[in-house]
Amino acid sequence: MWKEIALKRYPIRSKTGIPSQQLIEKFRPYLYVVPALAFFTLFFFYPIAYMVYLSFYDWSLLDLSAMEWVGLENFQALFTDNDFYQVLSNTFIFTVFTVALGMGIAFFLALWLNQRAKIYGVVQAAIFTPHIISLVSIAMLWMWLMDPQYGLLNAILEWFGLPAYSWLADTKSALASLVLVSVWKVVGYNTLVFIAGLQSIPKYLYEAAALDRSPAWKTLWKITIPMLSPTLFFLLIINTISSFQVFDTIYVMTQGGPVNSTNMLVFYIYEQGMDFYNGGIASAASVVEKVEVLLSCFDSFCNSDFYWMFQSGGS
Amino acid sequence: MTLSVTAIFTGCSNQEVPSAAEGKQPAAEQKGPVEIDFWYAVGGHNGEVLEGLVKKFNESQDEVEVKASYQGDYYENHSKVLAAVAAGNQPDVTMVEIGVIAAFADAKVLADLGPYTEGDEEKYIPGLMKNSYWNDKLVAVPFNRSTPLLYLNRDMLEKAGLDPKGPKTWEELRQYSKALTKQEGGKTVSFGFSTPIDIWFYEALVFQSGGNILSEDGKSLAINSPEGKAPLEFWNAMIKEGIMKAPPGEKYNAWDVAKQDFINEQVGMIFTSTGDLKGLKDNAKFNVGAAFLPANKDFGVPTGGANLVMLAKSSEEEKKAAWKFMKWITETEQTIPWSLETGYMPVTQKAVESDEMKAADPNFRVALDQLQYAKPRPMVPGYKELQEVIMTEIQRNVLGQATPDEALSAAAEKAQKLLKK
Repeated sequence: MWKEIALKRYPIRSKTGIPSQQLIEKFRPYLYVVPALAFFTLFFFYPIAYMVYLSFYDWSLLDLSAMEWVGLENFQALFTDNDFYQVLSNTFIFTVFTVALGMGIAFFLALWLNQRAKIYGVVQAAIFTPHIISLVSIAMLWMWLMDPQYGLLNAILEWFGLPAYSWLADTKSALASLVLVSVWKVVGYNTLVFIAGLQSIPKYLYEAAALDRSPAWKTLWKITIPMLSPTLFFLLIINTISSFQVFDTIYVMTQGGPVNSTNMLVFYIYEQGMDFYNGGIASAASVVEKVEVLLSCFDSFCNSDFYWMFQSGGS
Repeated sequence: MTLSVTAIFTGCSNQEVPSAAEGKQPAAEQKGPVEIDFWYAVGGHNGEVLEGLVKKFNESQDEVEVKASYQGDYYENHSKVLAAVAAGNQPDVTMVEIGVIAAFADAKVLADLGPYTEGDEEKYIPGLMKNSYWNDKLVAVPFNRSTPLLYLNRDMLEKAGLDPKGPKTWEELRQYSKALTKQEGGKTVSFGFSTPIDIWFYEALVFQSGGNILSEDGKSLAINSPEGKAPLEFWNAMIKEGIMKAPPGEKYNAWDVAKQDFINEQVGMIFTSTGDLKGLKDNAKFNVGAAFLPANKDFGVPTGGANLVMLAKSSEEEKKAAWKFMKWITETEQTIPWSLETGYMPVTQKAVESDEMKAADPNFRVALDQLQYAKPRPMVPGYKELQEVIMTEIQRNVLGQATPDEALSAAAEKAQKLLKK
């Protein structure tokens, strides 16, 4: 397509013309993308390629002169290590729940806020605040709230006559506690994006639905959700990637514990690289992490065909 | 030994290795002082005391200017030093926790102190020097050194009719804990005893049971044994009985919880480092006592804390300046106030025999007296990661997710790989 446009604007004069001229015309569009490409190569493709390269070596930051080629041994070590499988499953469970809850709650909040315009500002400010506070201070606050003995959350539970919860202190509840914090943090942002999406849906669609006496759930299912699909898609990708790469909450609140129950990919990479000096293992785990993020995004792209068709071809 | 090596070196090549006279000459000619970076890993009150000492050093002479900066706890400091070494902007002097010295030394990150000390290392307490040598070279000198202690809320003990000197054996610890645990309406309001489920205390209990962490050749883990199992069974039984609290939180978070509970009188006795002595004494509203860790077969503790190291990448000039500082801050005149202000042990033999230490609060002598039962921490490069593996496995057991046997054999299996390195 680019070539056609270029040929239209700058027609090649004749077959007897200078071939280099032709060549320039042909490559002109590529020339325009060189700056962007150079930027991406330097800060994106090169680091990834280098990371893959490093994953085939046994090395540590302490002594870079002692790098040793080990082939696929790092990957072999990863996939024969039960802890790594636990890390993968933790990451997966955390991502699924954070994304599902974070988007689900935000969606209904957005629907609600979209109706009641008067308290819109106050509520929105309240739920958006977590998004702009540093995650480290949020994590510190939640640690106080979640203290099993003196924490506010358990005090509230007990006030209602419910048994105290162990929160971060137990392997069974720690991951759920981290999901809670992440959802709380992400809901405000998601809601804001959803509201923007909702407000861009043309009113006449709803008017038409009202004239046809469409029940509320059907309006939601047939109009709101399909019209919101680009927003849904955007949030799905953003949320999946960010929960895949969760680090600061873990670093501050649990350090991956108790007993690896909250250890997830990026923290595992940090631990291997910076605490245990296993640069090779850390690089190999990074490769696995990149592949999984790419796969999950690719997956979202594939499964979104229906919605995209509605948007681009339906109107 | 190191002295003679130095002598030979100086004899062979006067150019490379500084003799005493040469060492002083360039500094005197210099226009400004040599600046060196010192990264430390003790926070709060102890950090302030250390900053005070550094300031005193800077004011006492004009050849060396030490820039001290706090880098977080030991774990954080190690990570930062590692990253800085790779980036080439490492500090000249830093603290390294003694169980990790081997990992740093093996990677050739630490400078050989031999050429600088001129035999000065003779002044240190021999019991504190066991985590200082790597391949027969002196790579570290003791600084903020500790042993674990049993801290007692003496008021609470007296009120319960117990001996305020504290329990001497595991069985007594259990009885005391039971007597101190208080329940109100089916809820425990105060526990008798609390300890972080940390590798350091686990090591202590293994030693007390007559065991060792590593085999003698350092090639395999020795805790998959009755001696390694005894601490876990002891802790499990006390937790089950409801008289011991395993504080929540990872790494030093759990220590902070234990100390906070102790100050708030929600536990009567805790294990923590002698380095917490001053801080706990100042913050507690009750009579704080310190005692040996109770004995199983015998008393026993690992030594702990951090040593001072010099980084191999620093320039010759910086190294000389660095040693001047390291020597000064571990001198008897400095180590006595450092000990009395923090609770860490004084590091020189002269300090131990000094009148100041003898006149001090008896609590400050407990760690020193306990030193006769102390062993060094394992000195193999793989121990940096292995100690985390052991810690995870013993926590798995204490949280009820594995039997002691399962946990320890899992640790032993992972150790095989790590100790081969």
